[in-house]
Amino acid sequence: MLVMNNIGKVYQTDMVQTHALRDFNLQVNEGEFIAVTGPSGSGKTTFLNIAGMLEGYSSGQYMLDGIDVGKLNDNQRADLRNQKIGFIFQGFNLIPDLNLYENVEVPLRYRGVKAAERKRRIENCLEQVGLAGRAKHLPQQLSGGQQQRVAIARALAGEPRFLLADEPTGNLDSLMARQVMELLEQINRDGATIVMVTHDPELARRTPRNIQIVDGQVADFTLYQGKGAASQALKSQVGA
Amino acid sequence: MFAHYLDLAWRSLKATPLATSLMALAIAIGIGVTMVSLSVYHMMSADPIPSKSSKLYAVQLQVMDEGQTYHSADDIPFQLTFLDAKNLYQTLNIDKKVVMFKSGFAVHVNNPEVSPMLQTTRLITREFFAMFELNFLYGGVWSQSQADNAAPVTVIDETIAQKLFGRSDVVGESIYLAQRRYQVVGVTKEWQPNVKMYDLNNGAFADAERIFIPFSHAAAYEIDTWGNTNGWKREEINNFTDKMNSEMLWTQFWVELENDKEQQALATQLDNYIQTQQDLGRFNRKTREFSLRNVTEWLEYNNVVSEDNKVMIGLSFMFLAVCLANIIGLLLAKFLKRAPDVGVRRALGASKTQVFYQHLVEVALLGFMGGVIGIVFAQLGLWGIRKTSHVYESLATMDVSMLLAAPSIAIVTCILAGLYPAWIVCKTSPATYLKVQ
Repeated sequence: MLVMNNIGKVYQTDMVQTHALRDFNLQVNEGEFIAVTGPSGSGKTTFLNIAGMLEGYSSGQYMLDGIDVGKLNDNQRADLRNQKIGFIFQGFNLIPDLNLYENVEVPLRYRGVKAAERKRRIENCLEQVGLAGRAKHLPQQLSGGQQQRVAIARALAGEPRFLLADEPTGNLDSLMARQVMELLEQINRDGATIVMVTHDPELARRTPRNIQIVDGQVADFTLYQGKGAASQALKSQVGA
Repeated sequence: MFAHYLDLAWRSLKATPLATSLMALAIAIGIGVTMVSLSVYHMMSADPIPSKSSKLYAVQLQVMDEGQTYHSADDIPFQLTFLDAKNLYQTLNIDKKVVMFKSGFAVHVNNPEVSPMLQTTRLITREFFAMFELNFLYGGVWSQSQADNAAPVTVIDETIAQKLFGRSDVVGESIYLAQRRYQVVGVTKEWQPNVKMYDLNNGAFADAERIFIPFSHAAAYEIDTWGNTNGWKREEINNFTDKMNSEMLWTQFWVELENDKEQQALATQLDNYIQTQQDLGRFNRKTREFSLRNVTEWLEYNNVVSEDNKVMIGLSFMFLAVCLANIIGLLLAKFLKRAPDVGVRRALGASKTQVFYQHLVEVALLGFMGGVIGIVFAQLGLWGIRKTSHVYESLATMDVSMLLAAPSIAIVTCILAGLYPAWIVCKTSPATYLKVQ
């Protein structure tokens, strides 16, 4: 699904070169749920941004679903992102002027999905996250947990095969965090591949595989008790 | 997608009412000023007689002695002498020709309740009405016999008829031009070309005359001109007969020609006429010079729309540019404030092109709003100009093309102004805003 070979990312200022990622290698298989951990400034978010094609990289090769991302122009990357990737952010990143229905509709608009199909998908997704009755509410009228569920509904609306979550529970209390995590686990069981950046070791332990990034490199990965078929396959692949 | 962008644009503009009002106002002021000068220019430069502007020709003769100069581009006087006008009318073998000049009278009727009024009057030959497309509501032009006999007959327009009689159908009624009684033989529909092309000597944008009498009355009743008289040599003028026989220039002569062949034939006749006059001791030049210019050429030759008007257009567009420069800053601030939303849209699959397009639709909508308000400002400006002088009554107006041009110019210029802010926001890295929002 996702293969990064020797990815390097350098931020250049007048005086300083900062290596956010160096010789970064990672393979994520279809159906996996991976937690990415690491200290602040280690390069987790840079990795996620590159994985989501929100940022370019300085060196190496990134293949997403067999497509060499480095060979795509901006519009092609936007199309690919729209078709295959869903994002969930720590700060929810809902558009404040749009109601829930319209927020969930955004990726579908850019994909050119017909109105009737959009309506069906949006209603399904809001139903899935338990907010079907609040479609006309504005984001600021919801709690943090509810907003994150809307963000998840938005990520799901495009029926992506690959979900990137950046500290999805970072702004939530423990109860809401658990609810969101359960929702993500359900989405993974339904077939989506998820890469989640988190600081929370409890959440990380709930995923079948953990990646630790230190100083812009994959320092370690730990395999936990996976429940899905992909986890079993991975276990056999790594000899666990 | 356009409808969606339009919806987003409307919401965005509604969300920041103060900034939107300021920007719309800036555009409206710029558009208002621009449309005022553009509308006046448009009306000044409009073809006054589109169906005939390539067929009607003003005739000029170089009557002045060798070495004499005139303030025209080719040194040929704009007007003709009374003598030449009369001669050409009598001798030229051409159907559609008219000789004329401007005069005027105190006009009154046998009704003490109607106040006398001072009115300009045009002395013309019969062909004037057909050649310059005046339409008769009642009656018609006087007969050739009446013209030859200097019969006291007149054609007036409906406005004069209404003023004097309170109705338009006044054929057969009598009016007095000074002390002479005239019978009305025809009433024309109101006629006011945007440029008084047939006589530019007394104000290109002056009102057209509303009373017409036969040209033969000039000699018969010694009716003098109310227009400009140009002299180019010292002459002893003791009475009106002297003036009619002098080299003073005060009449206009027009012909209507259908094709190049007719034009060539007329040129030959004019050349022959000058030669004949040279034999009589006039037209003391080595070369025989005359000129035939159609309406379009005539207006350009007379510099009807001067360079000043064009400079004014340029200045008003510069003012619009200043107004737009002001909104660029506001747009930039507004768009960058919304950069986090743009980051989200980019993350969700919007391309730079789509983000760019979305913002251009917003500035286009802003331009449309500014353009519509600008029309109101322009109307106020034009109303103010009309109030300064009656000369501007027909010029300081907006026709349909200008009404449509106002929002179009506003939209196009706003899009131009919005290109930079839209480009800045669309090339913003989405990752910058997603983490910190």
